[in-house]
Amino acid sequence: MHIDLKKEIRESNPGQIGIVILILVVVLAVAAPIIGRYDPIQQSAATLLSPSQNHWLGTNHVGQDIWSQLLYGARTSLLVGFSVGILGLLLSILFGMSSALIGGIYDRVIMRIVDAFIIIPMVIVVILVAAYIKPSLLLLISLLSVLTWPGGARVIRAQTLSLKQSGHISASRTFGAGWLYIAWRHILPDLMPILLVEFIYGVRRAVFMEAGLAFLGIGDPMVVSWGTMMHDALRFSYLDVWRWWLVPAGVALSLTIIGLTFISHAAEAVLDPRLRGEAVA
Amino acid sequence: MRRKRCLTQDCEVKPLLEIRNLRVSYGNDTVLDGIDLDLSSGETLAIIGESGTGKTTLGMSIMRLTEGKVRGSIKFDGKDLLALSEEEMRRIRWNRVAMVFQNVNNVLNPVYSVLEQVAEPIVEHGLRNKEEARERARELLAMVGLSSSRLSACPHQLSGGEQQRVLLAMALANDPELLILDEPLSSLDVATRSELADLLKNDNGRRARLVVTHNLDTAGKLADRLAVLYGGRIVEIGGTQDILQYPRHPYTRALIRAYPNMTTVKDLQGIKGRMSRPVSGCSFHPRCTQVIDICRREPPELSWNQGRAVACHRGGIVTILSVENLSKNFGTLKAVNSVNMRIEAGETLALVGQSGSGKTTLAKTIIGLHQPSQGEIFFDGVKVIGRGKDFYRKVQMIFQNPGESLSHRLSVLELVMEPLEVQGIGNKEERRQKAIKVIGEVELPQAEDFINKYPHHLSGGEMQRVAIARALVLDPVLLIADEPTAFLDASVEAKILKLLLNLQESRGLSILYITHNIAAARKVSDRIAVMLDGRIVEEGPSNLVVTAPKHAYTRRLLQTASSLHRFETGVTQ
Amino acid sequence: MKAIKHNLVTYGIAFLFIVALNFILPRMMPGNPLTAIYGDEALIAMTPELKAHLVERFALDKPLWEQFGAYFIAIFRGDLGYSYYYNAPVLKVILGHLPWTLLLVGSSLVLSTILGLMLGIESGWRRGSKTDRTLLAGLMSLNGFPDFFVGMILLLVFGVMLGFFPLAGALTPYSGISGLSLVLDVLKHMALPVAALTLAHLASGYLLTRNTMITVLKAPFMLTAKAKGLSQKVLKYRHAGRNSMLPVITMTGIRLGRVVTGALFVELVFAYPGVGQLTYQALLSRDYPVIQGVFLMVAISVLLANCAVDLLYPKIDPRVSYAY
Repeated sequence: MHIDLKKEIRESNPGQIGIVILILVVVLAVAAPIIGRYDPIQQSAATLLSPSQNHWLGTNHVGQDIWSQLLYGARTSLLVGFSVGILGLLLSILFGMSSALIGGIYDRVIMRIVDAFIIIPMVIVVILVAAYIKPSLLLLISLLSVLTWPGGARVIRAQTLSLKQSGHISASRTFGAGWLYIAWRHILPDLMPILLVEFIYGVRRAVFMEAGLAFLGIGDPMVVSWGTMMHDALRFSYLDVWRWWLVPAGVALSLTIIGLTFISHAAEAVLDPRLRGEAVA
Repeated sequence: MRRKRCLTQDCEVKPLLEIRNLRVSYGNDTVLDGIDLDLSSGETLAIIGESGTGKTTLGMSIMRLTEGKVRGSIKFDGKDLLALSEEEMRRIRWNRVAMVFQNVNNVLNPVYSVLEQVAEPIVEHGLRNKEEARERARELLAMVGLSSSRLSACPHQLSGGEQQRVLLAMALANDPELLILDEPLSSLDVATRSELADLLKNDNGRRARLVVTHNLDTAGKLADRLAVLYGGRIVEIGGTQDILQYPRHPYTRALIRAYPNMTTVKDLQGIKGRMSRPVSGCSFHPRCTQVIDICRREPPELSWNQGRAVACHRGGIVTILSVENLSKNFGTLKAVNSVNMRIEAGETLALVGQSGSGKTTLAKTIIGLHQPSQGEIFFDGVKVIGRGKDFYRKVQMIFQNPGESLSHRLSVLELVMEPLEVQGIGNKEERRQKAIKVIGEVELPQAEDFINKYPHHLSGGEMQRVAIARALVLDPVLLIADEPTAFLDASVEAKILKLLLNLQESRGLSILYITHNIAAARKVSDRIAVMLDGRIVEEGPSNLVVTAPKHAYTRRLLQTASSLHRFETGVTQ
Repeated sequence: MKAIKHNLVTYGIAFLFIVALNFILPRMMPGNPLTAIYGDEALIAMTPELKAHLVERFALDKPLWEQFGAYFIAIFRGDLGYSYYYNAPVLKVILGHLPWTLLLVGSSLVLSTILGLMLGIESGWRRGSKTDRTLLAGLMSLNGFPDFFVGMILLLVFGVMLGFFPLAGALTPYSGISGLSLVLDVLKHMALPVAALTLAHLASGYLLTRNTMITVLKAPFMLTAKAKGLSQKVLKYRHAGRNSMLPVITMTGIRLGRVVTGALFVELVFAYPGVGQLTYQALLSRDYPVIQGVFLMVAISVLLANCAVDLLYPKIDPRVSYAY
């Protein structure tokens, strides 16, 4: 079935909103050095200042400019999010497709592993690992990718299985095409809509997890993260500072996730035609 | 023929259901376009239509379950259902009007047992309490033949036949006065089908039933009366057996011809064209074999005659050719002796008899190669006196021996073009194009090297095809085929017969098929007339003549007809 | 609507993975495994006898396989190690904190499931209406807020600013109350954390139910039910609702996992003395035995919950049967 995923997302209300939000976040992240006026890690003024001309969101408990932190935090979230999204997707494709195409014992083994991973809550595994090995950003990304691929693998395997039986693929096989060729030329393109949706899910999960782990204090201490901001801000909840410290970070995080949610909602509607025609108030 | 106020057989009793001018449309698509129907208590009426004709919509409209726009009136026991509030309608649903739905996947709720689902409407309408309702449900399910071990099963655990029984039991739960059945037997195997058909027949005698189906067999088994639906309108209505044996509307006839069954003997034929809604006029006119001008402009009304009605400007299938008291004498020999015969539009009449019976003479008299000694010939209702060019545009003939009927001097193309030249139709190029087109129609190659060939270079079968093409090039309405396969091999004969059937389907031809071979006749004809010594001794629908012949001579013909299997007694099948 | 049926092998693999992870991590670290298991600070304070005892107990001087075996057996005996900081067996420490977490998780899971179902059914029934679109927009947005952030906002608004609810803990300390007042006290303290968790996890159940409802409403049996003249209420709940519930129930195992992780964060925000708080403290003080113990317990509980759901599911969806 010919689905123009991008068009559908663009045309749905929640999809549009989601894309707008995401673009906004990306722009802010990219422009961070320009719009943020200070190095977020250096102390730039006295601690716990209220918002002012120089510091739009004031400063935190070590004197860092909160506004700059907010912008650089966006970079972290997006970096981790998209990296895990892509890596996780690649792994999902690798295992999901190979599972479907090779079949047999290989398939069964992989699927058992996939099912096992799905039931285990990812966050506590990361907590455990992080307790022993202080994670750098790179390690975090790797870890999250390894834990996130099983979800997508199932879906990709299912789709590949059904595509495997389809007419044009059978035809290709009669030309003598090998499975690698078929996977690249025929299956992968047909999978695009699903891959996109899985990718967005992956990004969303990763952004969420990165922030959550930072909130717990397990993140990379050298990296600015919204999660860390919220963690630090929480300790000062008895003061007024939370208004411009905690809330912006939380709102930024939430908006990013909401944007991704909206996009994935629109994408889901595309894949399941029965859900089409969703308008958001 | 005026329309009577009451539309059922028995005009004394007020009908239970009166539908007047029902129109249902979905957006711009009009599915039902003015339906009038009556149904009395105790009667079973079948609505026949192919898919997409709106028959399911009709059933749904009565229960007010359609999402389309509904206009007109549906009177149930005097009250117009379309005017009721939703709450009032809800009370009528299932209690007084119930439906046996088509057995598709998930037509029953998958998470509840069938017993619960049958008992549910009894409880919800306050007829009984839970315990009693379940008891009643058990009775009903036992009555429809569901074994008691299956009562607590969920729908997906049952076979198709069992599910259909549940649907029936469920519909009968509140003892409705009107039962609508949508394809009640379609999903079943043959044995179950007849079992359920009997069950339905033995059900409550006072219940009125509306059976919606595309299946003529179902209609035949279950219904007293039959209404044929086409293009959102009823085109024919009357007693079931009457219509099935003697259809009056071209569509009904075509439907019967297209339906494989053990009764019809003629080979299957489709209906020309595709179902589509023309902008104006009769909805069937693009596919009709007897269209006239008014058919394209105005939709016809149902007109009644002794309990049967047809919606056709021409009053149903017309007689294209009839002969009355026709005789042809050669001196003292009465070759054709006071023959009365008629051919209806779009049908094949087979004239069967042995050599010397006078059949060829009759054919030649009709076409004008002999002058009748007595009697009259009527074409399309008009007496035929002289035969001018007009006549030959409408009636054409194919002769027995193509080697003789085709001139050796002319090429295939020239032969086929000849009638056009004689009639002065079009210019040279147009005639050529038309001839080539018809040559393609008879399944001959249209390439240059073929059409320039001469007949003596062709095989017997090819020559006869050329003859047929020649006959068709004027677009006649009636084709007289005089033993067209007499000089051909058996395998070629089969092809020619097939060709004639296909041409009849695609062009809506009427055919007078003359043969000595009753076995072949029954495969290609709707009606058979048996001729002996210049007289027609028997005539009737093919299947009847072949299975229940009345005349001794017919019986003899059947006995001596080709049969690859020897039977002990009587008539060969 | 088919559930993914995990069979026993899957659970086995998951269990093995968890145990193996727990086993391998400390032993992958450089240096003395005992250091890895207990951390530097704890070791400094240990007596040599204690160290020797621990080495023996964990078979640290024996080959890896035997170590794993010993570890495995220890788990089944309920021996999750010993927390130096709390000076008590890990199991006991965890069990001390567990009830509060169960309270939070249980209440939130139940509430969010029920509310999600109810709202999802209503929304799906009225698809496209103003109610539906508002709910959809609202809940999709709500879905974006991480549970700890929701908690923080609730805390700040209702706790700090409005003062309706207490700011920390599960009980008012040293109050000495009992009976009904005690119950009320507990409720007051858990109100905000439960609210946070419920709100954060409401959307997933809602969306799933709503989507299922939309699909179910188009099914042929809904028309059959309408034809039977059944009331709107019966149609909505008995027919459509009942069929729409199924996917959410299937997801209970997975949702439990999510709510449990969420609880970890929320407890932090509200200083609620549950397992989450315990974990956080353990992370700060490098109390590895406790961290491992928590991981094991939480992971296994989630596994068990999933297993239970798988076993119970065929009871509510007759189309699915055991395929073990």
